Amino acid sequence: MVTALRSRPRVIRLFVVVLALMFAATAFAFSTVDSASAQSLSSAKSSAPTVDTTPTPAPGSTAPTTAAQSIGIWIRIAADKSNVPNAKVTVTGPSGFSTTVVSGADGRATVPIEKTGTYKVLLDKSTIPAGLSVLGDNPRDVQVDAENQGVPAYYLLGDGAAGATPAPGKTSSPSTSSGNTPTFAEVVFPRIATGLIYGLLIALASIGVSLIYGTTGLNNFAHGELVTFGGLVGYVVSGVMHMPSWLGILSALVFGGIFGYLQDLGLWKPLRKRGIGLIPLMIVSIGLSLALRYIFNFIFGPDLLVTPSDSSSFLTLGPVHLRFWDVVSPIICIVVLLLVAFAMLRTRIGKATRAVADNRSLAAATGINVERVIRIVWVAGGALAGLSGALIGYYQPVSWETGASILLLIFAAVTLGGFGSAFGALVGSLIIGLLIDLSTSYGFIPSNLKLVAALAVMIVILLFRPQGILGRKDRIG
Amino acid sequence: MADATKDVTVLQVGEPLPGVPKVDPILVAHGVRRTFGGVNAVDVEHVEIPRNAITALIGPNGAGKTTFFNLLTGFDKPDSGTWSLDGKSLANVPAYKVARRGMVRTFQLTKALSLLSVLENMRLGAGSQGGERFLTSLVTRLWRKREDEITAQAMELLARFKLDTKADDYAASLSGGQRKLLEMARALMSKPELVMLDEPMAGVNPALTQSLLGHILNLKKEGMTVLFVEHDMHMVQTIADWVIVMAEGKIVAEGYPDVVMRDQAVIDAYLGAHHDTDLGSLTGQLEVAKDLGDSFLVGEISDEIRDEKADHTMEATDGK
Amino acid sequence: MDFNFIPLAFGEIVSPLTIGYALAALGLAVHFGFTGLLNFGQAGFMAVGGYAFAITTVKFGWPLGWALVATVVGAVLFALLLGIPTLRLRADYLSIVTIAAAEIVRYTVKTPSISQYTGGSDGINGASRDFYAMNPLPDIQYGFGVLTYNNNQLWSILVGWTVVIIAAVLVWQLMRSPWGRVIKGIREDEDAVRSLGKNVTWYKMQSLILGGVLGGLGTVLIIIPTSLQPDNYGTQTTFFLYTIVLLGGATTVLGPIIGSIIFWVVLQLSDGILTLLVNNHLLPLSSVQQGPIRFIIVGIALMLLVIFRPQGIFGKKREAHFSG
Ligand SMILES: Nc1ncnc2c1ncn2[C@@H]1O[C@H](COP(=O)(O)OP(=O)(O)OP(=O)(O)O)[C@@H](O)[C@H]1O
Ligand SMILES: [Mg+2]
Repeated sequence: MVTALRSRPRVIRLFVVVLALMFAATAFAFSTVDSASAQSLSSAKSSAPTVDTTPTPAPGSTAPTTAAQSIGIWIRIAADKSNVPNAKVTVTGPSGFSTTVVSGADGRATVPIEKTGTYKVLLDKSTIPAGLSVLGDNPRDVQVDAENQGVPAYYLLGDGAAGATPAPGKTSSPSTSSGNTPTFAEVVFPRIATGLIYGLLIALASIGVSLIYGTTGLNNFAHGELVTFGGLVGYVVSGVMHMPSWLGILSALVFGGIFGYLQDLGLWKPLRKRGIGLIPLMIVSIGLSLALRYIFNFIFGPDLLVTPSDSSSFLTLGPVHLRFWDVVSPIICIVVLLLVAFAMLRTRIGKATRAVADNRSLAAATGINVERVIRIVWVAGGALAGLSGALIGYYQPVSWETGASILLLIFAAVTLGGFGSAFGALVGSLIIGLLIDLSTSYGFIPSNLKLVAALAVMIVILLFRPQGILGRKDRIG
Repeated sequence: MADATKDVTVLQVGEPLPGVPKVDPILVAHGVRRTFGGVNAVDVEHVEIPRNAITALIGPNGAGKTTFFNLLTGFDKPDSGTWSLDGKSLANVPAYKVARRGMVRTFQLTKALSLLSVLENMRLGAGSQGGERFLTSLVTRLWRKREDEITAQAMELLARFKLDTKADDYAASLSGGQRKLLEMARALMSKPELVMLDEPMAGVNPALTQSLLGHILNLKKEGMTVLFVEHDMHMVQTIADWVIVMAEGKIVAEGYPDVVMRDQAVIDAYLGAHHDTDLGSLTGQLEVAKDLGDSFLVGEISDEIRDEKADHTMEATDGK
Repeated sequence: MDFNFIPLAFGEIVSPLTIGYALAALGLAVHFGFTGLLNFGQAGFMAVGGYAFAITTVKFGWPLGWALVATVVGAVLFALLLGIPTLRLRADYLSIVTIAAAEIVRYTVKTPSISQYTGGSDGINGASRDFYAMNPLPDIQYGFGVLTYNNNQLWSILVGWTVVIIAAVLVWQLMRSPWGRVIKGIREDEDAVRSLGKNVTWYKMQSLILGGVLGGLGTVLIIIPTSLQPDNYGTQTTFFLYTIVLLGGATTVLGPIIGSIIFWVVLQLSDGILTLLVNNHLLPLSSVQQGPIRFIIVGIALMLLVIFRPQGIFGKKREAHFSG
């Protein structure tokens, strides 16, 4: 099992070039920020309008709608997360669209939307239980792009004075899409954008999986829990303690690294010392994954946890509407990935890591402290996964199983790219990100099967190129 | 003693140059090439292995011997090339079918099946056990008789290899040398035509080496052909009828053992390889080169030395 | 205090889950313990078999016999689908592909557009029709105390355990035969077995099929007395099965069966004790928090087993098929 990161100067140079180009493109995009929408960065309890990657279908989207788009409404009481039935919600939008729905026993309602654009969702305060008020914006604006099913408009009700956040209640900017059937560009470009963003988020986590595999041979099935951990740290810092977002993200990075370090110190290192084989180690990682996942569940409960973020359009590029975090997350990802690439190529520890991944005993023989390299890989892997989790938290609500649900995507990405290759992990992640978003456009496959597309492609790639796109073959005999 | 172990028959047709045709070849390979990321691991123009003889494949570390074995036995796919056993092509034939055609190999790193008993290891080597088919296996009566035959054959072989007392132990409990023996014995269970041994002596203690040598010579007596890889030049000179030298993937020399050892190309191959190898393998090679150098220098009396060694061999004493 | 949970926990010995998991775990032992195949998608085999049975029985009205044929065919096809791309590859590829494929199955059956066949997220009820019609037992109550069963429940228990025992005998015979020798050889070193002229890929495929069919039939034993729910066949089901297999010993025939009994009895006992403590305010937990605890226990148990007793709680140390 020596599939590993080899010194491939050419490939790595390519890696840097690609990243640099993406960076430049994003920077360019940033300079054309729609100034009209740039000002309102108030917090609104909402999540991704464009992508829902939780495998459990988003609330409200389970009921199949005939319309190409829909808004999913969910009303709950903040204190105990209980659902609020019989609350009246009015949705108004372009071309005189207006509908009123009443939440069901599960606190949910779905509003089918025929035409894309910005919709205003108003919760009728007289229909909610007495003594409670709406937290966050009300009315609030929801951006519905082509083929978005179940765009979330989730309300939490709390007691006391209305809205702790001084939300100015943004007035609807004139919808960019004029409300006709979406054009090809309107369908595909937003998906390419979200696919790339999501791919970058997966990439952060995948690189850790790939490096841990490269240096220790372990397929870490508990890596998803590192992502969840980061997401939860971000949620606690920014969502519960109401600290600024940057602090939440930074904490996720730091605590993720610490978590990775402790895992290696307390579990993996002793097991390596005992000389336990790779297959049992894999099963240990499964047990760890199960235990951690449900410890998170035990502490945070089974619900989706929403970190406050702004869901209004921040940057508009033709048919692509990006929220603030849709722009900032990928920039953070790209900067971090560039740093990782730099570290791998230029620093002593990066070179040592590649040497260990290439041939562990040879590296040890040449005086590299293999245990130290592995420790650093665990810290870096944990930190990157934590960062990924925190950023995902601004992209969609996190929950105790966020990481578990993307673990397979991470593996698909790593398999696609070739195990042990950091660059391969990035390429694989972007492919997977694009795939899950593009495969569902035009109802090509049902949206709850988008993961299926990614996993199926992974299986097909294995058929033709088992070592992955950039991987190396094993030797026998 | 030398006469008992060596044939004086002529094996080749014409000058013994690399790729020389054999009088009665069992295996013929042509244009077999394998590269690993630009490095030519194997690049064999043409080679023929003589039937019912013991052929040694030698060469410095990384010469491509193991890779060549892997290619010939279907464990690896070449970039190009054809090869045939008894005139029937073996290119693109999967490994298990190669073995069924009568060409069985062992591995440089022993592959004993640790959690099977020694006897079960042996039984697994046997061919034509119908009970290995799913449905047949369900009815004990259908495979019991063949199983008894296999067991008898296995016990006989184990006795020959002095492993019969270990028959019921897990293979994991064997020593490194015993595993080499087991692997060789297991390969013989299917009564192959051509046995390919990848460094059968590596890591085996000198006492065991002697008995292994005896076994290999016996195989020839029983009509089998042996192709083996070995770094120990004493052993090559002792038992090989024919020597093929590989370096950097290519066949650089072929011939009778005493002649080849004096071949300048061979010495170059070994000594030349020093310049760009790392320290780890250098020490091992120096010894080999020293051996070669000895034979080269004392060429005139090499026959004597060899006979002496052969005597030692048969008396099961340390060859050195 | 109510200690009824103790007899109830021991009632798990004859619960549909114990019986079905015993069969599925036996299948997993064939894969993992005997052949060394790292199948992380046994839940997928279970789901495929279960859906093949339930859909053909409930939606197409096929008789029991043909529905069982459909179950076997479904599991065989699934094994071929997974095995063809991966069995030639390194062991860990199989683990990733199988876990992915199992999730694909779960998402697919939950797709709204095919819910008229699969029942969507609700699953399928009523696969027991023909089975109960064949019940020869008189319609009275059996058992004692809290452990009483009606005739249909008892019928399921009897047939279920009979099937498990037959399967165990079958696997035992296979593993003592030359076929089993090849299979175990592959677990130790597949290249060595290949060098001895055995078609290793094909044997691995046979093993994948055999274990998969046992998994599929295991689901049938579960859903006949209960119902088919897609989310019961997620990744955690596979992880439960690994715990069961490792509890009893992965390289034995009885291990998975005894493992299943221990697993469910212990889980039920711990649930009972927990409920008792919570209800009597001895533990400050909410009822929502009680749910995850069993999974935490299983996860930790799985880790401890692999690390400290890879041979299972009864096995001998040297029989651990991986070095601990
Ligand atoms: N799977 C592989 N990937 C990359 N390079 C390989 C692989 N297998 C072999 N090689 C390279 O091919 C060359 C030949 O290796 P091979 O193992 O055949 O040598 P050898 O002659 O058997 O050496 P030794 O005497 O040390 O056993 C070496 O340079 C080796 O590094
Ligand atoms: Mg070799």
